[in-house]
Amino acid sequence: MAKRSIVPFGPQHPVLPEPVHLDLVLEDETVVGAIPSIGFIHRGLEKLVEKRDFKQYVYIAERVCGICSCGHGMGYCESVEHVMGIEVPKRAKYLRTIWMEMSRVHSHLLWLGLLADAMGFESLFMESWKLREKILDMFDATTGGRVIFSVNCVGGVLKDMDSAMLAAIARTVDDMEADMTPLFQTFLKDYTVQSRLKGLGVLPRDQAILQGAVGPMLRASGEEYDVRMLGYAAYSDLDVAPVTATAGDSYARCEVRLKEILQSFRLIREAIGKIPGGDISVPVKGNPNGEYFMRIEQPRGEAIYYVKANGTKNLDRFRLRTPTTSNIPPMVELLKGCQLADVPLIILTIDPCISCTER
Amino acid sequence: MNDTKIFTYARTAMKNLFHKPATTSYPFEPAQFPERMRGHIEIDTAECISCGLCMRSCPTGAIRVDRAAGTWTINRFDCVQCGSCANLCPKKCLHMTPGYTQPAPQKSEETFELPKKAQPAGASQKPAMDPEKCVYCTLCAKKCPQGAIEVDRAEKTWKLDASKCVGCTLCASSCPKKAIEMK
Repeated sequence: MAKRSIVPFGPQHPVLPEPVHLDLVLEDETVVGAIPSIGFIHRGLEKLVEKRDFKQYVYIAERVCGICSCGHGMGYCESVEHVMGIEVPKRAKYLRTIWMEMSRVHSHLLWLGLLADAMGFESLFMESWKLREKILDMFDATTGGRVIFSVNCVGGVLKDMDSAMLAAIARTVDDMEADMTPLFQTFLKDYTVQSRLKGLGVLPRDQAILQGAVGPMLRASGEEYDVRMLGYAAYSDLDVAPVTATAGDSYARCEVRLKEILQSFRLIREAIGKIPGGDISVPVKGNPNGEYFMRIEQPRGEAIYYVKANGTKNLDRFRLRTPTTSNIPPMVELLKGCQLADVPLIILTIDPCISCTER
Repeated sequence: MNDTKIFTYARTAMKNLFHKPATTSYPFEPAQFPERMRGHIEIDTAECISCGLCMRSCPTGAIRVDRAAGTWTINRFDCVQCGSCANLCPKKCLHMTPGYTQPAPQKSEETFELPKKAQPAGASQKPAMDPEKCVYCTLCAKKCPQGAIEVDRAEKTWKLDASKCVGCTLCASSCPKKAIEMK
């Protein structure tokens, strides 16, 4: 038997965008076990809900994560709205959906860039991030923020988009779709990418379900599960079908995310076509009392929001379970049996967001 | 496995070589900011009534309003540009303006002197309650940023401390029975 050794991996590592730490148990170059430990960037944001007004907390919920910011704000607001029995105007729901889908494109392009970077494919990395800039510019023009939008509020949204702005988004989406063709070709057909990703980190469907994988990670293993089908925000009016792949390897996860970008483009166009007129928010009176539990599909997977209110302006509890929390157990499973050199890439394919996980 | 293909990315690489850069040559070319950009907070001191709502609503505690000294202070390094203060300001004297503030070697505060004119416009107006309409719901007392209103539901009393009142009109706008008028 080969000699066992333990190699600490992270929290600072060139390929990791965020500080996750793993103790890798190695037998020669083969990983036989991985022990994750988190907590390096815990900020106690959930606890702050007891100190801040429930309307003010939206700004803090949005700052749990930079990339899923819009979703966290929306998940928190929708939970509080359900507790208070507020019916949000239809236009606000559509606006939330449009921003949410734009966030998905932004998040997936960021991930594709990081994946290309992890493979050492620098020009592909730059192409991905160059495209992502167009979405960030649209965020800046429509919401006023490039990454953290602060558009969600309890009762609706804070900013409206006029028809010229919606037309500009539709134009940008069309341009991006055309610009993305070479990117798609390269990611899905290029020999270099295929040789690096195919067959790497295979997660079979039964294991994915057993280990509780969520989001593109689960769908890449062939499970048709997408929380958007529950019909929160304006998704009930839109045609959402889960994008799946069957192989369950790193290439399949890349394929699912690429196809989800196209799906998001279609959803944005559909939402812009169907958006009704009217108010963007309703006045909120009184304080919430009760509890609610809701799920939304973040770009990285299913996120769970739990709110418990006591009738005062401060909530008793706000709990957020992020997609990365669920994807860590399957990631540890994936690492068993792989080579040490493949560890960074496998970690990256779950699209880890440690800021979200540790809150 | 596919056959090895070389230079599949060559077209993009060549295009990038002879194309205008995707980035701009900042600072030689000034940055273009969209109209809605939340760059930094600006205050119109002439309109401010020192009600302190901005200070209370700020999630990071970056704003300090000193009514006695007549100053409005912001720590721009603590500000996260959420726009909460500008959304809540009853006089709409706070604005989110495009463009970033200057960097500095250390965190510092910026203090604005509020003009000491007789009374800012509207501040001379105080709320007056109509006892026929009032249901003593206490909403006005809860909304008052200065705690100038005291309502006793059991005793059916409504008291205003005129020295604390800044005339922000929040009580009048929040009253569900429209029982408060600014006079």
